[in-house]
Amino acid sequence: MADSHATDRSEYSSIATRHIYTRVRTQALKGAVEYQERRIRVHHHLKSSIFMASRNQGSAPRALVVEDIKVDCVILMHMLHKLNCEATAVENGKEAVDLFLEGKTFDIVFSDKDMPIMSGPEAVAKIRAMGATEVKIVGVSADFGGREAFMQAGADVFVSKPVKLETLESMLKVVISKKNMSG
Amino acid sequence: MKQGYLDEQFCQVEDLQDEASPNFAEEVATLFFKDSARLISNVEQALEKYPKDFNRWDAYMQQLEGSCSSIGASRMKSECMSFRDYCGQGNVEGCMRSFHKVKREHGALRQKLEAYFQLLRQAGPAGAATRPGM
Repeated sequence: MADSHATDRSEYSSIATRHIYTRVRTQALKGAVEYQERRIRVHHHLKSSIFMASRNQGSAPRALVVEDIKVDCVILMHMLHKLNCEATAVENGKEAVDLFLEGKTFDIVFSDKDMPIMSGPEAVAKIRAMGATEVKIVGVSADFGGREAFMQAGADVFVSKPVKLETLESMLKVVISKKNMSG
Repeated sequence: MKQGYLDEQFCQVEDLQDEASPNFAEEVATLFFKDSARLISNVEQALEKYPKDFNRWDAYMQQLEGSCSSIGASRMKSECMSFRDYCGQGNVEGCMRSFHKVKREHGALRQKLEAYFQLLRQAGPAGAATRPGM
């Protein structure tokens, strides 16, 4: 009798657990579907807006990311690829300057502030001193004090970390439309 | 996110996932923990080798704070900011206390995210879009 009662309780517990799991899973899946739909809408909107903006240009915007922290670099690069940019990454200001010295050209540069070997503001100053006045340079830092350093060095704009996808999109649209007007 | 470990920025990272990069968020999280372990070690060494060098301590912690911002690690970021405040005040004890909290939050976040991604893997492709409260 005791065994039978224990078995019934065990079965009930198992059924109840399965029911709860099913209900939680159903709710989770419903939420997952709604979230997935939202992501698809965001994804299509971004792809189409930058695609339309760059169509007349004939080529994707060329971006340079100057960032020593890997996770920050990976996220920014991924965002730029999603926005149909040709993106290149380097780990410090000196490598960025070297690219310009080699004759490489970019439409937009995103530079972190504090990096080994050469800082972002120092690299920006050198790039501008080389005569690269057309390239849009964006200073990026978690340090709000970085704004002054970047702007004094010759950056066009400063954004604080984390950089939002929408912010990148609007910057790239400006770059593309400027290229369309001059091209 | 309900517990404050992660903020909206983590959602942005997840929103970057697509067919070509279905595990982007997990890859970023892995990279974050690799980077942040190194940055924490930098701070730890600076605390030992450069006593009361608040500028140096602050500079190292600022890098960690930036990484936390990028992934949306809000509680960890708060502790980083607290450490930097103590640096500004020249408060060694405060720095040490908040540094321990940074390490604690780092460990807690790692556990939470590992469990989260494990859950996603178990749930399968549909569950990959679900965000449990964190």
